[in-house]
Amino acid sequence: MAAAAQRQTGWWLLILPAFLLMTAFYVAPILQVLAISFTEPQPGLQNYERLFTSESVQRVIGTTLRICLITTALALLLGYALAYRIALAEERVRRWWILAVLVPLWISVLVRAFAWVTLLRRQGLVNQALLETGVIAEPLQLVWNEFGIVVGMVHYMVPYAVLPMLASMREIDPRLLAAARGLGASRFTVFARVFLPLSAPGLIAAGVLVFIFSLGFYITPAILGGGKTLMVAEWIGLQILDLIRWGLGTMMATVLVVAILTTLAIFSRAVDLRRLFGSGA
Amino acid sequence: MEGAHRPGGAAKGLAWLVALYLVLPIGIILPVSLTDQRFLSLPQEGLSLRHYATVLTSTEWLGSIAQSFWIAVGSTILAVVAGTLCAIGCWRISRRATDLVRALMLLPIIIPSIVYAIGLYRYFAGLGLLDRFLGVVIAHGVTGIPYVIITVSTALAAFDPRLEQAARGMGASLWQTLRWVILPRIAPGIASGAIFAFIHSWDELVIVLFIASRDVFTLPRRIWDGINENLDPAMAAVAVLLIVFTVLLLLLDMALRRRRDAP
Amino acid sequence: MSATGHALALHGLTKRYGSFTAVDDVSLRIERGQFLTLLGPSGSGKTTILMCIAGFVAPTAGAVLLDGRDITALPPEKRDFGMVFQGYALFPHMTVAENVAFPLRVRRMGAAERQEKVRAALDLVQLDRFADRLPRQLSGGQQQRVALARALVFDPALLLLDEPLSALDKKLRAELQEELKALHRRVGRTFVNVTHDQEEALSLSDRVAILNHGKLVQEGAPAALYEKPRTRFVADFLGKSNFLHGTVREAHPGGFAVMAGGTRVIQAIAPDAPRPAAGTPALLSLRPEKIALLGEAETAENAVDGRILSWSYLGAGFAINVATQDLGALRVTLPSWGAPFAPAEGMPVRLGWSATASVPVAEDAD
Repeated sequence: MAAAAQRQTGWWLLILPAFLLMTAFYVAPILQVLAISFTEPQPGLQNYERLFTSESVQRVIGTTLRICLITTALALLLGYALAYRIALAEERVRRWWILAVLVPLWISVLVRAFAWVTLLRRQGLVNQALLETGVIAEPLQLVWNEFGIVVGMVHYMVPYAVLPMLASMREIDPRLLAAARGLGASRFTVFARVFLPLSAPGLIAAGVLVFIFSLGFYITPAILGGGKTLMVAEWIGLQILDLIRWGLGTMMATVLVVAILTTLAIFSRAVDLRRLFGSGA
Repeated sequence: MEGAHRPGGAAKGLAWLVALYLVLPIGIILPVSLTDQRFLSLPQEGLSLRHYATVLTSTEWLGSIAQSFWIAVGSTILAVVAGTLCAIGCWRISRRATDLVRALMLLPIIIPSIVYAIGLYRYFAGLGLLDRFLGVVIAHGVTGIPYVIITVSTALAAFDPRLEQAARGMGASLWQTLRWVILPRIAPGIASGAIFAFIHSWDELVIVLFIASRDVFTLPRRIWDGINENLDPAMAAVAVLLIVFTVLLLLLDMALRRRRDAP
Repeated sequence: MSATGHALALHGLTKRYGSFTAVDDVSLRIERGQFLTLLGPSGSGKTTILMCIAGFVAPTAGAVLLDGRDITALPPEKRDFGMVFQGYALFPHMTVAENVAFPLRVRRMGAAERQEKVRAALDLVQLDRFADRLPRQLSGGQQQRVALARALVFDPALLLLDEPLSALDKKLRAELQEELKALHRRVGRTFVNVTHDQEEALSLSDRVAILNHGKLVQEGAPAALYEKPRTRFVADFLGKSNFLHGTVREAHPGGFAVMAGGTRVIQAIAPDAPRPAAGTPALLSLRPEKIALLGEAETAENAVDGRILSWSYLGAGFAINVATQDLGALRVTLPSWGAPFAPAEGMPVRLGWSATASVPVAEDAD
């Protein structure tokens, strides 16, 4: 047994650098700052009492949950349509469709938020086009509100929804679908009775992924919300940078982390993060 | 395949709409960046490269680009070395023993950057790493490790473990096995990981907002300020340059994957 | 390193995975220059034993000795054993020559000497023309030879083979069996082979060790194992066998009689072998090729009447299933050339065999 243990030591040493880096420069800072929620301004749970007493804290959480659920639902719907098309496409065409998912996925979130501002603001291209064609008389308020946030967030999340769903759809044996058609099922029946149930694991995984990514999302809501609609991440930043209320900010950060880890734990079987990046291209 | 199940008209139409929704807003930036006007708009009378000229002659923009580039290079090296070794170690040691390690390494993808950013803000203040090149490299390197671990683990999954046994059985030390057998086989996976770690650092904003202020002013930070202060067409030019850069890196990654998958 | 190979011994080798015992107290000696095959069905522990010898698996108890030296704790890279892996495990990114040079490279041998040895090793397996190919450009048989050359190039103390021929089709397998045997004679090294293919074990080996459920069941020269199986499992696993159940009637020096229903069967045994007591149950193993079809006037020490249940033509011979009243269905093989009749279902026949044709065997303890 000593021999086996000795043989493994070398391999454990390979893990060591990443482990030390991750512990010293990732886990330690996070644990340290989350601990502040129990110690500042004075030791105790008074920061967490705000969850039940402060209307503004509750409003932020409510807004965040509402936007996240809407975003998740829309991203799943749109993502499913796209994944369905890609999964059933011929090899040659499929590559282009996948590119349409991967390119937005990897393009800077800032650039994408900027694109939406260009399109949706009061003097933006959409309002201009609608005004010029006479559809509307007054510019529409398309951004710096919840609508703008949802448009931008769904845009960001659709690729994350597509990849796990696509991975699970690609595992469906196409002969099964052909066989169902051959047995006399209509296109819709094949979809509803065969394809949809078989792709359900991917759908759940995508839902969990999009939901937890949305919960802590900072940049897009900050830009497209224009400071008027606050979500949790921006609210935390505000507490720390502008109001210097570390206790409150870290309390909300703790709540956020706990919410995400709980969601993941519940659905841990459905979500395999490694798949997301492994099988896309 | 003849007689295969294909999506119906409605499904196809919806898929097209989604694809347009994903791609068009990004594509619209190109004509905006070529506008001849002084404000964000489509070109009115002709195309102009003046906004590109503004960006490419501005010492501020060029300085930020250079800074972002070197930070991305540094953090990519950090992430690739640590991530590759860790992925190999986890792969070789039994799965269950390393499950915890794997979960730990994936944390940066799961936990929102805002939480890490406020943590580092406090932590780096104590270490004197705020607003320092090294601080940002460490932060981006550590958060880039998951991307490397994921791609390298995928490459390792296709690697026949008997090759490693064969090498050891013929007398190769761990180091020789790594250098001559394992690393050459998973090189494309490492390259993919490096590309993703690079893009991650190159685009990262939230952490930088908290741990850097004046001396370190990366490209995303400058774009952020631009969006919040003066929405001018120069921003569109920067955006186009960024898009082109990202697409090039992605194409490189696809080419690498194709070479790996080739028989 | 001497050219005559080394002797290997296993002492009470045991490997447990949790509550499952993969290898159960196996002791074995392999003499210098011998070709030993570990034979058993899948899950019998044969591969685990090989992995313990190679050093990839650490035994739970027991020891591995090389020329009397305990090497149980030595890591695989320090053992200096050549190994041919199942599926060969050739490095796909290296050419044939680079693959073969690998063991020399890790030993930091100079380039000139290295080239010399690689050429000699490739000559040995007749692959000198393929030095610059990649493994995937070779056929299965050629890949197998590269794996052999790579395992032998550094003059290993021992050559371990893990199902070396299992990936090949039947015809090629027979061809490479011959080659492997010739190679063993040429290099004079100690070979340890693992297989589940009994024909391969019989044709290749100087000695065969038969394993079942992690235990060493019987060990010996191929012919001795085939002719004198000690247990039902060995008789059944090595070739085909009929089993006759009965009760010992009486014993004389040199043999005993068994009653199976109303049929009396005479079994010869060596004069010094222990004789079973009358009244105890007996189990006899009778090979199908040792049963003859008796003509009208012919007699034999043992004879039984039956009817042909089914038959098949195998080219070189017939395989015939004969139903008998007391001994159940008996399988008989006959050469087709010069067969006294054409078999037909339902045809009455008389079977005969000598008292030395069958062997008493023990039931396996489970």
